[in-house]
Amino acid sequence: MEPVELPVPGAPDNSVSVPLNGEPHQKLSDYNFFYGPLKNQVPVEGVYEYEPISSLFTDYALKKRFIWMPDGVAATYNVDSEILDFPVGTVLIKNFYYTHVLPGNETKILETRLMILRSTGWIFAEYVWNEEQTEAYLDMNGSHVSLTWSKNGETMSTNYRIPSQTECMVCHKLNDTPIPIGVKPQNLNKSFPYPDGEKNQLQKLVDVGYLSGNLPPSISTVVDYSDSGQPLELRLRSYLDINCAHCHSAGKHCDYRPIRLAFSETGVKTNMGLCVEPGESIDPAMNFIISPSNIARSVMHYRLSTNDEALRMPLLGRTMVHQEGVQLLEDWINSIDICE
Amino acid sequence: MKTQLLLTTVSFSLSAAVGLSQNTCSTALPITAGVYTVTAVDGTEIPAPICAPNGQGASAGEWYTYTPADTFTVTVSTDLPQNTGGDTRVHIYTGTCGNLSCHAGDDDSGAGYLSYIEFIVFPGNTYYIAFDNKWSSNGFDFILEENPYVEPQEDPVTFSNETILGLSGTYRIAVADMNGDYLDDIVTITQDEVRILYQQVGSGFIANIFNVNITFMPSWSMAIGDIDRNGFNDIVLGSGQGVTFLYANDTGDGFTEVSGTEYVFSQRTNFVDIDNDGNLDAFVCHDVDPNVFYMNDGEGNLSFNQGGLGDHPEGGNYGSIWVDYDNDGDADLFIAKCRGGGSTAKYNELHRNDGNGVFTNVSVEANMYDPVQTWSSAWNDYDNDGFMDALIGANSFADGGHKLMKNNGDGTFSDITAGSGWETDNFSGIEYISFDFDNDGFADIMGGGSHIYMNNGDFTFYEFNSGVPIGAVGDLNNDGFLDIQSGGNVYFNTGNDNNWIKINLLGVASNVNGIGARVEVYSGGTKQIRDVRSGIGFKYMHTLNAHFGIGTNTAIDSVIVRWPAGGYDIVRDPEINGDVLVVEGTTSLSVLKMNGSPVEIFPNPAENELNIQNMDLTQVDNMKVLNMLGQVVMDITVPVNTLDISALNNGMYVLQVELKGGKRFADSFIKR
Repeated sequence: MEPVELPVPGAPDNSVSVPLNGEPHQKLSDYNFFYGPLKNQVPVEGVYEYEPISSLFTDYALKKRFIWMPDGVAATYNVDSEILDFPVGTVLIKNFYYTHVLPGNETKILETRLMILRSTGWIFAEYVWNEEQTEAYLDMNGSHVSLTWSKNGETMSTNYRIPSQTECMVCHKLNDTPIPIGVKPQNLNKSFPYPDGEKNQLQKLVDVGYLSGNLPPSISTVVDYSDSGQPLELRLRSYLDINCAHCHSAGKHCDYRPIRLAFSETGVKTNMGLCVEPGESIDPAMNFIISPSNIARSVMHYRLSTNDEALRMPLLGRTMVHQEGVQLLEDWINSIDICE
Repeated sequence: MKTQLLLTTVSFSLSAAVGLSQNTCSTALPITAGVYTVTAVDGTEIPAPICAPNGQGASAGEWYTYTPADTFTVTVSTDLPQNTGGDTRVHIYTGTCGNLSCHAGDDDSGAGYLSYIEFIVFPGNTYYIAFDNKWSSNGFDFILEENPYVEPQEDPVTFSNETILGLSGTYRIAVADMNGDYLDDIVTITQDEVRILYQQVGSGFIANIFNVNITFMPSWSMAIGDIDRNGFNDIVLGSGQGVTFLYANDTGDGFTEVSGTEYVFSQRTNFVDIDNDGNLDAFVCHDVDPNVFYMNDGEGNLSFNQGGLGDHPEGGNYGSIWVDYDNDGDADLFIAKCRGGGSTAKYNELHRNDGNGVFTNVSVEANMYDPVQTWSSAWNDYDNDGFMDALIGANSFADGGHKLMKNNGDGTFSDITAGSGWETDNFSGIEYISFDFDNDGFADIMGGGSHIYMNNGDFTFYEFNSGVPIGAVGDLNNDGFLDIQSGGNVYFNTGNDNNWIKINLLGVASNVNGIGARVEVYSGGTKQIRDVRSGIGFKYMHTLNAHFGIGTNTAIDSVIVRWPAGGYDIVRDPEINGDVLVVEGTTSLSVLKMNGSPVEIFPNPAENELNIQNMDLTQVDNMKVLNMLGQVVMDITVPVNTLDISALNNGMYVLQVELKGGKRFADSFIKR
């Protein structure tokens, strides 16, 4: 991190600017979400970082997320498995970046996605970072960035896809209505190291006035799928929720398929596809979406393991196989002996 | 049960005693009826060829021989209680080791993934029974039972599977003639090459590799047609990020790539002459945006367009098919659509072609506005009444099942699914295509994976599992029965006694492939029709030749080709069981009249000079002479009434006359 200019992080700043009608800002800096050099991502007061417990795989991109709301309004709790009811003016900010980008071994921010709740509903505003990493510009048309980086000593590369507006909509919708995905109590219910100390993320939102009303005493919460100390099935269900449920739930892009992959629904194993015939036969040998202890006969395993864009799952957001995710699925399939 | 257990015990010690003897074909263990134990599938000889479903992938085998004393229907099965949870595969051969032929085979017909196969055996023959470890190397028991001979039920169509040498490539999804001999070729696409397996006269293929770097791969679909009219077919590739065109060069020995910069989440691709100007345009279904199409300027240059042909803002466009549903001579557009949730993007669309590139969305009034989740529809005249009907194939039953739609002939369709056999069909799929697979004169439907739905001709169908994974359809051995290329294999249709005819087209005023032409075959008091289409079903490219079965009829009265440019040609009493090439404007007198008199050419054949009679030169823009590939061999920019053709090689040519205003007329002549 480079030295940050004054005012210091967390100092009062009332200059956040979010247009609630017309065109979104042309530049990310126009919002005044951050102090100092934009790339340092140091939030002004009122902009709070958060992190879902399990996150979507997008070609190993790293992510940094923030939330902002106007003065005097707050979200309310709905249910554990649904996004919070946000007030008009809410902005969700999500930066996608890589570290150890070659050849310079640098950190590179590629895009910042905003979802802004207007009185007419959520809109997408997509900002693409310049090569100098000094600014990001509004671009709703989608583009590609060719990228090579080092991950734990292994060189990886991808032709990274920055989505167009319609690609955003494929995942971020309920029926015809744009919505966020991750900001559900089940995903936020964990502690986060804020600059002024560690705190539960939901409690933090309450404390800063962004969440009002009562939270239930217990929240059905996903686990971090990468935490091998957690039960295998909970890890897989958490993984499927954040990676798949935005299409495989009622009212979503692929709800005509027989699986339901939201964490709140995968307590029933047939919703995960266990011994359920696929609607589309890729190969007659793979006769179930998940076949007990039989990876080679499981369509879900095939779809997570291929990069062929007509066969891979998820449909959008990755061009690489998420090896750790596939391993998790394999481990779970091998732990299941029989159809239910 | 007791007997079986006893047998198991006995055979256990037997197989233990023989140890490794069943590890290869030549050391196969002779057996008779009974139960046997395979302790593990670990023999060194991998069973080949593959006679069971699900392809290659085994690394070991276990071998037995069986020589019956009588004619039996024999069962070989691993579907035994002690094998529950197991996963076996078995191949039954005749012949000798090193030269085995498939007799039967099975993978999963038993419970779970166990195997069960019945086959006929004759006394004195030796049958090899070989298990492989495609799925599991674990041991299991199997039973061989001899049952009284039962006449096997015959499938309406049978295919023999052949692995084709050189049939490799990342995408093996296209069959079409690529070099103007009207023999269907196989085209595969890899990142840096186009590979064409040219079908040879007689039989077999010769593979040619053309190096070209390809930006967008055909992960969703591909289609084939001659965009630039040079006699060699070009290719459109639909990827999730954009569209690539591959132009075959003028000598047919290379491809040039042209890729659009536009983001297109491609689904079905088609070549079709959208504005009916005589040049092929391209259409691409867009998954998440309005559809896109590429208009041809007449020189083969394509310009990107979006809007006007299916504009739902969220797309949902999966399977476009260009079909003349209202018999007005131009191709209309039906779009099979799919989308989850409450979005209206899932409602299918029918766009009527009103000519000159004007289309009207008639989905509702035609009764085709339906939310069934579908990725493709199969169109043909299923009752031979002269109008194209549709099977809208469900890819999920969440929003309704398959729909068989009868074309009423008045611009509307009626849902006649009930009682057709389709209402009880439980298979869903993304590919639905229609061909006459058994040449009985009624177009059948393939879909739902490997299922073929045989058309009874009265809007009823019966399903049978062909065992052939759906693929690209064409006549790959030129025997008049349609074959299926799927993966690295061709499944050759073994045929029957029915008669057939293939109509091959060369457009002159129309696009060179005759895409959009309506072909009519009159035989035995029945009229059959086909539309020539590039891009049917969901992802594959199928033959461009119009293929007709005529059942037991022994003659065809006539064939009429109605060209997209407006004219028609008639071939009377063609030979059956063969190909007929119809060159546009060459089999009927020219319809062009100038100053009240028909324009005619003479002499024909001609040696050095060709005269054009009654042609008013002031009305003519240009003239061209084309060879039978559709290539321009003489380009006459200043029209004349007498052509010097002395430089042409001997053979058949087409003279094309283009009037000011763009209308084209043509006639053929022979140079001697």
